[in-house]
Amino acid sequence: MKPAAFDYKAPETLPEALSLLASAGESAMPLAGGQSLVPLLSTRRCRPATVIDLNRLPGLDGVSISRDTVHVGAMTRLRTLERHVGLRQALPVLPQAAALVGQPQIRHRATLGGSLCHADPTAELPALAVALEAGLRLRSREAERTEAAARFFTGPHATARQPGELLTEIEFRLLPGFRFWFEEVTQRGEAGFAVVGLCLGIALHGPVVTGARLAAAGVAPWPLRLSAAEARLTGRRIYDDLTDVAEAAVADTDPVADLHGDVRYRQALLRVLIHRAASHAANMRSPV
Amino acid sequence: MSDQPHGAPGTAGGLIGRRLPGRQDRRLLQGRGRYVDDIKAPAALHATVLRSPVAHGHIVSFDASAAVADGRVHLVLDPAEIARLTEPIPVTWQLPGQHLSQVSLAVQTVRYIGQPIGLIVADSRAAAEDAAELVVVDIDPLPAVTSVPAALADGGPLLYPECGSNIAGQIHFGDPVDDLEQIMATAPHVVERTLGVQRINHSPMEPRGILADWTAATEQLTVWSSTQSPHVVRQELAAVLRLRVDQIRVVAPDIGGSFGGKVTLQVDEALVCLAATILGRQVKWIEDRFENLTAAYQGRGQQARARLALGSGGRFLALHADITGDLGAFAIQAGSGPFQVTGLALEGPYRYDRAGATVRAVYTNMVPTGAYRGYGMQEASWIRERLIDEAARELGMDGLDLRLRNIVGPGDMPYTTHTQLTYDGGDYAAALRRAAALAREHCGASAGQVSRGAAATACVEITGFAPSALLEMFHIDWSGWEAGRLRVNQDGTVTAFAGVIPVGQGIETTLAQIVADRLRIPIGWVAIQLGDTDVTPYSDLSSQASRSLTLAGGALVQAADRMRDRMHALASRFLGADPADVSLDSVAGTDASPDKAVFRAAGTEQTVTWRDVAHRGWKGWGRSGSDQIQLEETVEFDPPAITFSYSSHGAAVAVDRETGKVAVTGYWSVNDSGILVNPLIAEGQITGGIAQGIGIALLEEARYDADTAAPLATAYRDYVLPTERDVPPVTIEHRCTPSAHIPGGFRGLGEGGAIPPPATIAGAIADAIPQIAHSLTSTPMTPARIWAALDAAARPGRQAGREHAAGDAPR
Amino acid sequence: MTITDITITVNGAVRQAPAEARTVLSDYLRHTVGLTGTHVGCEQGMCGSCTVLLDGAPVRSCLLLAVQADGHEIETVEGLADGAQLSPLQQAMLEEHGLQCGFCTPGVLMSLTHAQREGLTEQEATSLLGGHLCRCTGYGGIRAAIARLWRDREVTE
Repeated sequence: MKPAAFDYKAPETLPEALSLLASAGESAMPLAGGQSLVPLLSTRRCRPATVIDLNRLPGLDGVSISRDTVHVGAMTRLRTLERHVGLRQALPVLPQAAALVGQPQIRHRATLGGSLCHADPTAELPALAVALEAGLRLRSREAERTEAAARFFTGPHATARQPGELLTEIEFRLLPGFRFWFEEVTQRGEAGFAVVGLCLGIALHGPVVTGARLAAAGVAPWPLRLSAAEARLTGRRIYDDLTDVAEAAVADTDPVADLHGDVRYRQALLRVLIHRAASHAANMRSPV
Repeated sequence: MSDQPHGAPGTAGGLIGRRLPGRQDRRLLQGRGRYVDDIKAPAALHATVLRSPVAHGHIVSFDASAAVADGRVHLVLDPAEIARLTEPIPVTWQLPGQHLSQVSLAVQTVRYIGQPIGLIVADSRAAAEDAAELVVVDIDPLPAVTSVPAALADGGPLLYPECGSNIAGQIHFGDPVDDLEQIMATAPHVVERTLGVQRINHSPMEPRGILADWTAATEQLTVWSSTQSPHVVRQELAAVLRLRVDQIRVVAPDIGGSFGGKVTLQVDEALVCLAATILGRQVKWIEDRFENLTAAYQGRGQQARARLALGSGGRFLALHADITGDLGAFAIQAGSGPFQVTGLALEGPYRYDRAGATVRAVYTNMVPTGAYRGYGMQEASWIRERLIDEAARELGMDGLDLRLRNIVGPGDMPYTTHTQLTYDGGDYAAALRRAAALAREHCGASAGQVSRGAAATACVEITGFAPSALLEMFHIDWSGWEAGRLRVNQDGTVTAFAGVIPVGQGIETTLAQIVADRLRIPIGWVAIQLGDTDVTPYSDLSSQASRSLTLAGGALVQAADRMRDRMHALASRFLGADPADVSLDSVAGTDASPDKAVFRAAGTEQTVTWRDVAHRGWKGWGRSGSDQIQLEETVEFDPPAITFSYSSHGAAVAVDRETGKVAVTGYWSVNDSGILVNPLIAEGQITGGIAQGIGIALLEEARYDADTAAPLATAYRDYVLPTERDVPPVTIEHRCTPSAHIPGGFRGLGEGGAIPPPATIAGAIADAIPQIAHSLTSTPMTPARIWAALDAAARPGRQAGREHAAGDAPR
Repeated sequence: MTITDITITVNGAVRQAPAEARTVLSDYLRHTVGLTGTHVGCEQGMCGSCTVLLDGAPVRSCLLLAVQADGHEIETVEGLADGAQLSPLQQAMLEEHGLQCGFCTPGVLMSLTHAQREGLTEQEATSLLGGHLCRCTGYGGIRAAIARLWRDREVTE
């Protein structure tokens, strides 16, 4: 399987990259980590006329942590996120979920921005972005905007990124008092592709849930915010029977069946993950 | 004739039983492997195969004009040209009644997605793929047969209308059906299940590949192929390309795994060779993984309706299975072989009043199937051991006790099954007890949502396949004997040749151990040459069917024994001494060189070096009368009978009842393969086989779309192979019942590890969660299927007892 | 279609040759640079046979365009041994029967070499092994090699 021919550009400044994207339009694909794009090029499922390599652009990687926010450059490698000491304090669910993506060798190249733009409905980081209500900074030659994660994922491998735009940065507003956890059921072993994944966050006052964030992967054509489940969970005692919360979540799902799970199985896994993630989050050390 | 008894352990050379690292390992570790795509061929052109995009249809038109116009394209082969220039590949092992006796390269009616219909040769693979996109093929679609049930359905589509049905043929083994039915009708207890084993991809880490070179001046074709059987490839190419066999040389370079997927010439490989002859150039084709998972012949693919009749105390009265095998679009050279072996091997290590199997094979519009490690025996183990476990459950007996009640004992040997296999020794019960005890001891207790269970099963493995007479009787058009040729070179080094192929199983190492051991020389003097039809002995079956070590090893044991005697006799004449007084100084296990090792006449100062004996022997000196001159011995070993290995496996599992995920937490093999030449290599083989068995049990399936027969598992994301996390540490214990049929006492073991795991793991899951035991009838037992079985068992109003598998039936 | 001159330091030696942009690094290393020790098993990044070290990090060379490695350092299996002297990892794999057909082996060696150099724990090294598919060994010999190597490392530390 060899790619179809394409033109290759490796811009060295962001304005240059945006200019190339603007002129190439829909026939250009940005190349970030390549762990999702190059397989598509090799099978010719993706046939851009131009590949624009982002790896030489300065300033698109890096993590900056302030009191209320975490900013992560779109080109930050997942392996960096996985091992980032500051993030383990400020936003531990991000390194925790990053470590679940694929295999370590993949994570040495894969980027946060690439994972979000690839928008695999079973991927971990899009679900995390939705649960954390991340803001995705998109820049084009003409303009800049921030898209909410909730609106960014529009379908399997489809996003709100316009042809001339680059995802440059992801902003996570920190939620004081919240403890987040990512739980998934994988195809095999304890790593690799997930069948269903869940990012769950709760704020507790004693045993009572004062705030909840839930988003799931693998139960819809996009990462699914489980608002009904959040509403049910808020105000509950965390050690209660959460069956109705799980049912509220399942009611929102629209799973796509594939070789690894049909609709009922995926829904069953979501129920299990809600119980397990809630239990884990409840027992976590409370955040500073 | 050697005075060494067959199978005596601890021979004088001391190399049998040594845990030596593989001789190729050092260079492989340094990246100095030489797989077919590594061969430097800068002038080679590159091929890509044009494949049918539909599962069934008539080719109406094939327009390659745009591709031909591409300046980088050197050749396009279309169906008409292929038909004009080739003959079909003959089929080797047919079912009675099978109408297809050949595999045609020329295709007018496509019968599976991925079927080769043409070839493009260009400057590079990328250019060839570019050009392939320009070829316009018009196919009139026909309805597709997308499963075995669909193949049998009345009024369904037929792949070969002239046949009248999709049934390729049928054969019955063992006791007559009437006898079996009579017992089934009157037995106190009959367990019946429909049991299935899914289509499997061999998926060696090196896909297939071929480099073909036609020298027009001498009309010689040289082929480097990632193949287990170069002599078969050579003969089949000769037939296809209308050449003399001696115009073709086939060389097997390093092979990155095979497992039965590289035993025959496949159509795409033949087309590459055809292209080379047309172009008079080197043409290379390396299969990519997409092709390997979808268009290379697959393994397994079988369903059986099986019954076990039991009498009082659980005595096995009768065993019968109606086996239907999925041949795919056509019967390949030995396509129905595995299904037939399932019938032959069904009984395993147990006694029955009567036993038999009825085997038929059907055509479907999917890629053809054939040999895969375990070759029908894994399916037999699945059928038999599941029936036994279910019988135990229904009778309220312990599975181990039920097995031991019926097992063939050492005192029963030789034991002939109802299908005329004669087991040649072993203590099946002792191995089974041990495996069961190990699994039970390490099982652990269930807690929370995790249920734990353990089980053990027993199997007998056909190895050293097969005596020529047996192959002739079954009309299997392959040679079963092996020749070992051994030469003491002029400088005293030793070169040995055999017709088997190294595919990762370490045969180049173990044969060297055998030769050096029998000659009582350092192993460093010995080179093993394999895999070149110009140089190495003829062999059809070559490296498959757990036969390389037993048969090539058995031949070389004898050849080495003869050569040792000849060297001894020559040395005696050169020393002018009585042979009884002459001995070779012990050099085995040293790195002494041939010119330092000496024959010595006792009580004298007279010595002659090994090297000198060789040097002079090649001059014809020292021989008496009509003695042979050249220091070469060739022994043809036609085994007198099949020799059987046996094993019991134990498995412990932990099942997460909420997700259906099964973790194999422990795995044990108690294995008897007779005299082990190299236990380190043996354990590697068994462990690797077990990993493949875990893949079959829990993870792998080549699935197809129910409407279009499109392959669904087209990449490793969807064809799920076991990783390190899926295979627990495996403990192997060796037993040793030397084989009386094989010089050296060896039994084969290449396939043994892959045979028991699915049945053993299912038994452990059933032990962990008895309420789903009845539904464990098909593999893979994926998390989704285990969950569905648990869900069905939990729902109120469920019928107790004999439900068939919840979840999808295998295709 | 872009064709570029590419300069890569491979196992310490500067190598320069042009390639099409669409040529992936695994093919470039094998057929342009001529180092065939790195193998191609799937071209989808899943099997690990093509793993090399890029600036010291284990990556899938089938998922890198060759042109992306321009100016960078690549290490392949051919660079591990010191002449005829195998690295301790290679030696451990030899003694523990960590390979059979040898096709997946170079990739495994690169991942585990990285683990050794970075001082990763035995568990982290085993996690890296989880990114490799081996069809022959059942992973037993490879795990034994890891265990031996990490045990020896403890002894010498």
